Amino acid sequence: MDSVDVRCERVSKRYRMPPRREARRGGVLGRAADALWQTSEDFWALRDVSFEVARGETLGIVGRNGAGKSTLLKLLGGITVPTEGQLTIVGRLSALIEVGSGFHPELTGRENVFLSGAILGMRRRDISARLDSIADFSGVGAFLDTPVKYYSSGMYVRLGFAIAAHLEPDVLLVDEVLAVGDSEFQARCLQRIQELKRRGTTMVVVSHDLGAVEQLSDRAILIDAGTLAATGSPQDVISRYQRLVNGAGALSHEDDDVRTRPPAPIRIETLTLHAQDGAPVLTAVAERPLIARILLVADSPVAASVTLSFYEFEAGTLLAECTGTIQPAGSASARLQMDFVLPELLLAPGVYTLGATVTPAGAGRPVAWRFGRTTLYVQGSAVSRGVFVQPFQCHTAVLPPALAVSLS
Amino acid sequence: MYAKFGLTDDERSARLGMRHVTIRRPESVPGLWAGLRLLADSWDLFRTLTAHRIRVRYKQSALGLFWAVLQPVALMLIFTLVFGRIARVPSEGIPYSLFAYSGLLVWSFLATALGNATHALVAHAQLITKVYFPREVLPLSYVAAALFDLCAAVVVLGALLAYHDIGLTWSALYGVPVVLLLATLVTGSAFLLSAIQVRFRDVGLAVPLILYLWMFSTPIAYPLSAVPEAYRPWFLLNPMTGIVESFRRAVVHGIPPELHMLAIPAIVSAILLPVAYAFFKRIETTMADVI
Repeated sequence: MDSVDVRCERVSKRYRMPPRREARRGGVLGRAADALWQTSEDFWALRDVSFEVARGETLGIVGRNGAGKSTLLKLLGGITVPTEGQLTIVGRLSALIEVGSGFHPELTGRENVFLSGAILGMRRRDISARLDSIADFSGVGAFLDTPVKYYSSGMYVRLGFAIAAHLEPDVLLVDEVLAVGDSEFQARCLQRIQELKRRGTTMVVVSHDLGAVEQLSDRAILIDAGTLAATGSPQDVISRYQRLVNGAGALSHEDDDVRTRPPAPIRIETLTLHAQDGAPVLTAVAERPLIARILLVADSPVAASVTLSFYEFEAGTLLAECTGTIQPAGSASARLQMDFVLPELLLAPGVYTLGATVTPAGAGRPVAWRFGRTTLYVQGSAVSRGVFVQPFQCHTAVLPPALAVSLS
Repeated sequence: MYAKFGLTDDERSARLGMRHVTIRRPESVPGLWAGLRLLADSWDLFRTLTAHRIRVRYKQSALGLFWAVLQPVALMLIFTLVFGRIARVPSEGIPYSLFAYSGLLVWSFLATALGNATHALVAHAQLITKVYFPREVLPLSYVAAALFDLCAAVVVLGALLAYHDIGLTWSALYGVPVVLLLATLVTGSAFLLSAIQVRFRDVGLAVPLILYLWMFSTPIAYPLSAVPEAYRPWFLLNPMTGIVESFRRAVVHGIPPELHMLAIPAIVSAILLPVAYAFFKRIETTMADVI
């Protein structure tokens, strides 16, 4: 048996759109005729898409809204069949989706866990065995025997997702992982996905969250207008995607990438985001602490300054910089970890890009840099505009009535 | 914490053993056997869905299970008044209430099952577009839930028999294969109706009317013997005629059913079920696109 778990060969999917208003026939008979022999217009959601996912590999799929990502997932998940081409899936496949929509409001959380678990293909005794774990994961514990119609929308969604998170498939489809719950719940989901990945589960991850795609995927493909527009390392594909989204402007730095100016005594390996306790995060929260961690590889002891930069996602405008220094230490080559601890993230909720540069002491220009590869999503409680959070206090006082006397 | 996701025996063996290869081609209708195997794998889903259907129906209702028998009982009362007392329809020498109820019992199963199962797929559009599972489990669970109601209604039949001092004979057991034959007929119809409903919502609107007309052309309120000789062959073409007459004959009269009466329903069911299932599986492949 070969080690490819998912193979997609020249797959196309056509949807029939209802005919345009002017093309419809009138009258009762005309309507019936339209319904029976639909004079429809074709819409190709996917055209000639081919790719493979090896066993244990995680493939990220990025693309704009309406590019065909969801259609591709539906084909992989067996929800609908391709119009042309062929898909081959080896092993048990499950989709990590939020199944709250399958809940029956009158049934209790516990009953719904069994119902949704069964819909997702779990056996009764497997569900029984994992019931506690599911309740723990979702955090609805005490309300497990309450009808779900009394649940808050957050609990509903978390319970739905927790069930799916307990599947143990050979191939896992992940759609918009982090669209669910608060940041703590998202971190838990992410941890679960990484655990499955470590165990060798083959995965296909679809997300608008480029940070998630970059962090989870071994390889990525870019779908645009129903066709395969790029395939390669997640970094390359994401930067292609960003260029696509941003059109000609924005982030079109020539060095929109990890670059090193050879011969470089020091290189940037990764730039990742972490919570205060060191757990990796993909999404930050405004006005809360955040750690940006840079891993460096130095071939020889070197003194350098390392700059972390924040850019606007779309315009690419530089917003802020933090610079730290490293001192020569140890002997020959070394791996260094630099934590930029931000006690309070002052960026307003929105999407940003992080970059990093390394400039050895005495050198006028950076020798290694990294741009446009780490996306920073900032969430916040309040809807706010602008790019940064201005700390403020607001004092209100009632003033004595103004004297209605004109001085003139 | 939540990291305790142990593998079950099933999963471990699946992991050690071969992995099943799924191929999805355009219009690939899974073979009948593959479809049935997948359906057998979904036994747990079927069981859970059916149990929940039954439970949901009686949640937050004071009368609970009583509703399962209310439909045939209420119809029996009005039929007894209108056809038994006013129109004086003959009832083959047994009390009219018992006569009508034994027919209505069987009929209510068909009416409830088809009335609900027709909407089975459309009502779960949210799920169908999100996750794959053998879709036939949905109409099947409605048929099974209606079968549960039938069992509850049988208790009332027993009470009526006792009230009229009519003893049960061993022949009453013939009622079981008759009901199974009816269940086959209902399952086939449920596959067909629910699948067409996905594309043409007209079906859902037509079903109540069809059920209404069908009920009165089936010997429920009247015996087949009261139908003029000339029309009788036409009545026998209705598969429900043989089923209702045979059920009544076995359970109330205590006589084994006549095989020729069951020939039409048997032939219709034997053809309908496989054809309807194949049609259902054919529609299933692109169901999510249209629903």
